[in-house]
Amino acid sequence: MLEFYKKQHLYPKVQFIVIAKNGEVTASDDNLFPLEPGSDIAEFHPFFESVIPLLADKNTQLSYYCIHIKDKICDVDCKTFEGKDPLIVIHDLTEHYESLQLVTQMRNETVIESEILSLQNTYLQEKEAFKRTFIANFSHELRNPLTGIFSFTEMLEKTHLSDEQYDLVEVVKSLCQDLNIMIEDILDLSKIEVGKFFTKDEVFDFDEMLDTVNFIYSTKARQKNLNFQIHRDEKIPQYIEGDQSRIKQLLANTIENAIKFTDEGQVDLYLKLNNKRANKVNIQFEITDTGIGIAKKDLNDIFTSFTQVHKDNKYPGSGLGLAIVKNLVTLMEGNISAESELGKGTSIRFNLKLKFPLHHREKQKKKTQESDILFNNPDKYSILLIEDNKISQIIVLKILASQGAFFLDIAENGAQAMERVEENDYDLILMDLRLPDISGYELAPLIRDLPEKKYAKTPIVALSGSMMGDGKNDYKKAGINDILQKPFQELQLLKQLKKFFK
Amino acid sequence: MTISKKIVLLGHFGVGKTSLVRRFVENTFSDNYKVTIGVHILKKEMDLPENQVNLIIWDIEGNEDITATRSSYLMGSHGFIYVFDTTRKSTFENLKRDLDHLKNNYNNVPIIVVGNKNDLITSAYLKENSSLFEQVDYFTSARTGKNVELIFEDLTKKMIS
Repeated sequence: MLEFYKKQHLYPKVQFIVIAKNGEVTASDDNLFPLEPGSDIAEFHPFFESVIPLLADKNTQLSYYCIHIKDKICDVDCKTFEGKDPLIVIHDLTEHYESLQLVTQMRNETVIESEILSLQNTYLQEKEAFKRTFIANFSHELRNPLTGIFSFTEMLEKTHLSDEQYDLVEVVKSLCQDLNIMIEDILDLSKIEVGKFFTKDEVFDFDEMLDTVNFIYSTKARQKNLNFQIHRDEKIPQYIEGDQSRIKQLLANTIENAIKFTDEGQVDLYLKLNNKRANKVNIQFEITDTGIGIAKKDLNDIFTSFTQVHKDNKYPGSGLGLAIVKNLVTLMEGNISAESELGKGTSIRFNLKLKFPLHHREKQKKKTQESDILFNNPDKYSILLIEDNKISQIIVLKILASQGAFFLDIAENGAQAMERVEENDYDLILMDLRLPDISGYELAPLIRDLPEKKYAKTPIVALSGSMMGDGKNDYKKAGINDILQKPFQELQLLKQLKKFFK
Repeated sequence: MTISKKIVLLGHFGVGKTSLVRRFVENTFSDNYKVTIGVHILKKEMDLPENQVNLIIWDIEGNEDITATRSSYLMGSHGFIYVFDTTRKSTFENLKRDLDHLKNNYNNVPIIVVGNKNDLITSAYLKENSSLFEQVDYFTSARTGKNVELIFEDLTKKMIS
């Protein structure tokens, strides 16, 4: 019985071959491969052709593993003797090696796939980095000609232009500014993404910053008949150490967005002290609105670059504002989240880890500019600006914000202006002479002739782009007190106002 | 005169050693990867002006560590073709070390260094990695057949010179 099993399992799997030194087969048991005595073993398989030269020396023993010979996978032992012909023993281990092949195949495929995936990932990352650098460089290059266009437009603005030409120049300036904002946004975003965006730490008056924010966005909100309010946690220190301009940018982007997507109701900024330890302070900023809201499925996309959840032309924009906010907050080691309900409003909440000085003495403000000291009235003057040009609106807004002494409303045309003057009482009216629906010369008498003559003595200052015409008699006849030539400097406007607010 | 020369193809697994041999010996190519275990030995005659050379080509299993290659496979070799995959960095990042090992242990055996799968990379990629590819003799593609004959011809000339 034992011999039977040996015959079945062992014997047929081994072949003994005796060869001459030149490779001629002298004897073979042909258990695996038939080999004719006298045939050249090198002709049988090239393996032997490369082995025979190595069998020239006596008492040599060579072992080869896993050799594919015909349809079998074998181990081969070769032995030489003194005075005898070399012996070749072939062991058929096909089954064993085939099972090994399956395992190796699976293992190698896994390794290769993971290497290819890693390569693809690296390739994508490199491509993304290239894209970011390209955008950053390209945006930077775009800025130079744009600055040129803007400067030359400003020079053109100061030449003798008719009112119509002046308005056209203002449109070019306005478009340049829009483009510049977009490029600045792209640059900021690229810098953040490539790690070249740095924030600076400086001690600043948090309340003063909030006053400016309040002035600008209350004004902007009122333009849309919205109410903007800041709710400040009194426990937040007055002086904060951080990057004021970037905090302002965060607030500007989120509040602008809230106002843009709100048609009626309220925009609020809530400031809450999360915690305060040693000289560290964690402040939560929450901007809520009663606007159109965002669908749940879109909520995750609002912080993605170039993504606009509301694709309606009514709400134009580059889709970069909130992406910059998200990146800036992350850069400043904060967290950001959003909640929204379609048709009810949105809430953007972020917190910032900042510092505050433990003993801060306010530096005496340098009186370097005459404009710094023009207004220090305790009660704010209420001004109506009637101006359709966005740039002029922003210029007036910023000049007045710097004083902290005014309350500003903006009307973009004659009809809006009439609504505002009827509803409110203004201390002074700044009015562009060329409005979309009416000229300033026609509008001023309408304001003067309102029932009860409430604006009979209110100063009306016209803003005119024209260096020609607009003679003194024309505006005096229309009931306009004075004319301020555009483009005007900060000081020119403030002096003009000072003249009437003595 | 007919002479026999043993050539061994070395390199990591999956770099295309078997595909290069198939392309050279049978002029065929398959996209399906089948792992080589042990060694496949094929023969091809090459006619040179003065000699006919029987190339005994040992297509051995791939190995990440060349020092772990079975010495019996390399014994009696007349030439080496070191193959790597140009798309997989892991297959050529130790190229210098592997070549040093071969030169130290098989001093007089000529070596041809081949970057395979050339059809899958761009010239920009080649330029970017030029410092890593300084020691490469040929970039080949078993799929297209590019430079495949050339590497065997070149090595054969080196072996009989």
